Amino acid sequence: MRISDLLKLAFRNLLRRKARTALTVIGVVIGTISIVVMVSIGIGVNQSFDEMIMQSGSMTIIRVQKYGSIYDDDGNYIGSKEQVLDDSVVEQIKGVAHVKAVTPIIRKYVSLYSGKYQNGVTLYAMNSEVFDAFEFPPLQYGSYPTKENPSAVVLSPQSMQYFYYYSGRNFDEKSVDPLTEKVTFKFQEYQTHPRKKEFELALTDVAMMEETDNWEYSYNIYMDIEYFREIWAKYANTLKLEDRKKAISSIETYEEIRINVDNINNVSKVQDDIKALGYATYSEMQYLEPLKETSRILQMVLGAIGSIAMIVSAINIANTMVMSIYERTKEIGIMKVLGCLVRDVKRQFLLEAGLIGLLGGIVGIIISYVLSHLINTYGSGIMGSIVGTETTGALSVIPFWLPFAAAAFGMLVGLLSGYFPARRATRIRAIEAMKTEG
Amino acid sequence: MEKEPEKIIELINVKKVYRMGNEKIYAVDDVSFDIKKGEFCCLLGTSGSGKSTLLNLMAGIEKATSGKIIIKGKNIPKMNENSLAKFRQRYLGFVFQAYNLINSMTAIENVEFPLVFKRVRPKKRKKLAKEMLIKVGLESRLAHKPKEMSGGQQQRVGIARAFVAKPEIVFADEPTGNLDTRTTIEVMELIKQMARDNNQTIVMVTHDRSLAAYADKIIHILDGKIQSIEVTERNKQEDMQEHLKEVSRQLLLDRGGDVTAAEAESAATETPKPPEENATDI
Repeated sequence: MRISDLLKLAFRNLLRRKARTALTVIGVVIGTISIVVMVSIGIGVNQSFDEMIMQSGSMTIIRVQKYGSIYDDDGNYIGSKEQVLDDSVVEQIKGVAHVKAVTPIIRKYVSLYSGKYQNGVTLYAMNSEVFDAFEFPPLQYGSYPTKENPSAVVLSPQSMQYFYYYSGRNFDEKSVDPLTEKVTFKFQEYQTHPRKKEFELALTDVAMMEETDNWEYSYNIYMDIEYFREIWAKYANTLKLEDRKKAISSIETYEEIRINVDNINNVSKVQDDIKALGYATYSEMQYLEPLKETSRILQMVLGAIGSIAMIVSAINIANTMVMSIYERTKEIGIMKVLGCLVRDVKRQFLLEAGLIGLLGGIVGIIISYVLSHLINTYGSGIMGSIVGTETTGALSVIPFWLPFAAAAFGMLVGLLSGYFPARRATRIRAIEAMKTEG
Repeated sequence: MEKEPEKIIELINVKKVYRMGNEKIYAVDDVSFDIKKGEFCCLLGTSGSGKSTLLNLMAGIEKATSGKIIIKGKNIPKMNENSLAKFRQRYLGFVFQAYNLINSMTAIENVEFPLVFKRVRPKKRKKLAKEMLIKVGLESRLAHKPKEMSGGQQQRVGIARAFVAKPEIVFADEPTGNLDTRTTIEVMELIKQMARDNNQTIVMVTHDRSLAAYADKIIHILDGKIQSIEVTERNKQEDMQEHLKEVSRQLLLDRGGDVTAAEAESAATETPKPPEENATDI
């Protein structure tokens, strides 16, 4: 038989029992909806987690901090330890496989002044060569410090906002444009020698990062570590004698060593390697892992619920096909006597079952899109309370492949559940046609 | 017909044994005969004589327990289901007692059906089916479903279906078993006419002795065995017409019908297609 004839016959047979076909299709529709919606929620939650993590930092970054947190095997915080981070540690870490870039970081709290307004920010001093490797955001203006030109100070957008009037009676806030307004900064850690002038640095060579979701690049300011040492030495000279020694020794060890790993999949491995060197580490990944695990389990549970509906609808299709074969026993017999190939009988029933599956799949997908939209519009609060996190993104995300996968899956379910009935149909003998009754 | 026509069907020591518990039932018991091309052969026997089983064996619908059934040079019991299906597509047509039309399909779709299996293009097979239905006098019933037609009309659709693919052999199992006398005559004459037009071979099973008169060869079957084979030699066309008239007349007389009506019927058969009005039981 021609494919077109098989199709025509299949449609005709399905239409012969409209109510039964419709009910079977509805079964598949429900199955498809439950799978698509459940999977889409799983994906949506997963994406929300990802977004959340992305906001707090890059996935491939590992930090070794002066006060390193210690976790037990389950990832629970059990305490912290002070670790001495100096250049030898930096060198050790550079030797670890999959490490793309390493930089020591000196962190100081500094005050920025603009006229009578001030703002407190954190200054990060780090190797100027690794700004690229750490994927710092593009700049609005200026340039990142280099070895040749180390004096550039990289500002983040929000570090120039929220300047407040420090001696005013009212809390008065304003933003400062470092290109047009004079901005200076001061260190705050130690007391200035009474007979010396307080150290102050005017920000002349500045660069401004673009706005990003990552808070690190929103509030902090960055500087080359060598340049920092220069100005720190100058600052130290203005201090009281005992403070001067403390200040100089304070920058001999680092607050943090930051590592960027070549690939997100190697983060855990590198973290383990550094742990083996005896240093406590921290990465966003280690938080993402359990979150991912949670969402994986969630996805599996949701998928399982969907699958049960699909299995029920598969049984439903099989039942419909078996019924249909019983009804059409004589007809199949006639077809065989008239010269219908066994292959064509089988194909016909498979096609009918497949069509039910496909039809149900397509209708199911359309309804799923509507439901997904409704969930995203109204369901955010409900799901937020279930997952226990504030979700910013869409709750139910249907990726482009999901409708195709669902339609194909629906058809596959149809074909699979139609297979045994179809085989049964082929076993009907032509002699059935010769029986006179019916 | 100077030349001896070829043997189109040949049965050699064919047996069909059913087992009922420990008992063996010989539905067909060591049957041998042959049918020549263009012959109208009638298997005549009472119900339970094994005549229908014999037809089923020939058509490959049932498998012979032993013996050879050679049709067009092929041994039917040795063929697998697939090649049997193809064989049926190419060489065989069927007319059933219960018509066996597909109820959900119209007359024309039913007639098309064997061509669908043969992968004939839709346009061509529509045309063939329509021609066939016109030939059997159902021009005005093309789009009717079987349930909307009389028994005689349904059987004519069945005949159109059996002949549409121009098979060399048509098997007919009690084709008039459900029809009244007048319709029986119409149907029989239609089958005879069709077969003669294309030199097709007919194998008909019946228990009705008077119907056997249409045949060139009558094989009497009793308890699965051949009792006797009658061969009527009729070669000339004119003889045929006369003979048909006589047979029809006799048939009606046998059944206590109206002879004048029978004459009207047989007059009608001289035109190749029976007129529509003759469809008695609409």
